[in-house]
Amino acid sequence: MELEPMDDFEKELRQTFERQPAPPGMKGKIMARRRVSEPRSHAVLWQRLAASLALAAVLGGVVEWNWHLREERRKGEAARQQVLTALRITNHALNHMNKQLAAHGRAVQE
Amino acid sequence: MQNRIMALVLGAAVLAAPARAQTAKLPAPSPVEKALAARAFSVDEVTLDKNMLAFAAKFMAGKNKDDAGIQHLIDGLDGIYIRDYEFDKPGQFTAEDVEQLRKYFETSEWSPLVRDRDRKTGESTDVMIKLVNGKTGGMFILDVCPKEISVVLILGPIRMDDLGKLSSLGGLGALGTVEKSVQDKEKKGGHQ
Repeated sequence: MELEPMDDFEKELRQTFERQPAPPGMKGKIMARRRVSEPRSHAVLWQRLAASLALAAVLGGVVEWNWHLREERRKGEAARQQVLTALRITNHALNHMNKQLAAHGRAVQE
Repeated sequence: MQNRIMALVLGAAVLAAPARAQTAKLPAPSPVEKALAARAFSVDEVTLDKNMLAFAAKFMAGKNKDDAGIQHLIDGLDGIYIRDYEFDKPGQFTAEDVEQLRKYFETSEWSPLVRDRDRKTGESTDVMIKLVNGKTGGMFILDVCPKEISVVLILGPIRMDDLGKLSSLGGLGALGTVEKSVQDKEKKGGHQ
């Protein structure tokens, strides 16, 4: 008498594990659901692609701007060096002029 | 309507003409420069037009006191044209080369400030200034040593006060000495 519930349990278990055919229309439902979810996954893919492109564009812009700044600084330094060279040569020429004039006894200041 | 447009175009042209005339243009390199550069062992060439000078001035802003002084000096200049040829031995250029250079740059608008010749050594110095309404509108220096030729052309209003201040900078001492001479010349020019 005490083993009866166990038999019921075994019976239920057997029934549960028993192979049963899918309810009619199940395949159709699954296929329909798949058709709906497929475009959604495409949209997510496109969104991710667009976000990646936007991020790449922003990063590219930052790199480009940095390069532009560095180039601007390099050109500015080159221009500054040219001005200094110009002043150095001017000074050299004027020094020579002063020496020549001093040698001839005619200083510029006179 | 067409007449109005024509009048506007003509008006703009009339207004633009003096503005363009006020900005002196840097000369093209003289033909003799190529030959000199080929014979020289060291060549320094600096050509800075108004835009490049403005760019350099912008870059010098706020750096240090010396740069600020130079920035103030070059601010408003129309151009700087410098050529410096160094030769390894004397006799690498002729008096004719020098004369060609002098003639190329010397035009009627320049007034001589210093003209010095040494027949023995062949050394010579020419300093000329351009006076525009009694103010300095440019400076030209042609300095010839046995082994070196320097051409300095500075176009635009040169602030002689700033030039004098730069004499305190290392290596720019001689710039200040020309200040007084030019100021005297300006005074004379102003009275003409």
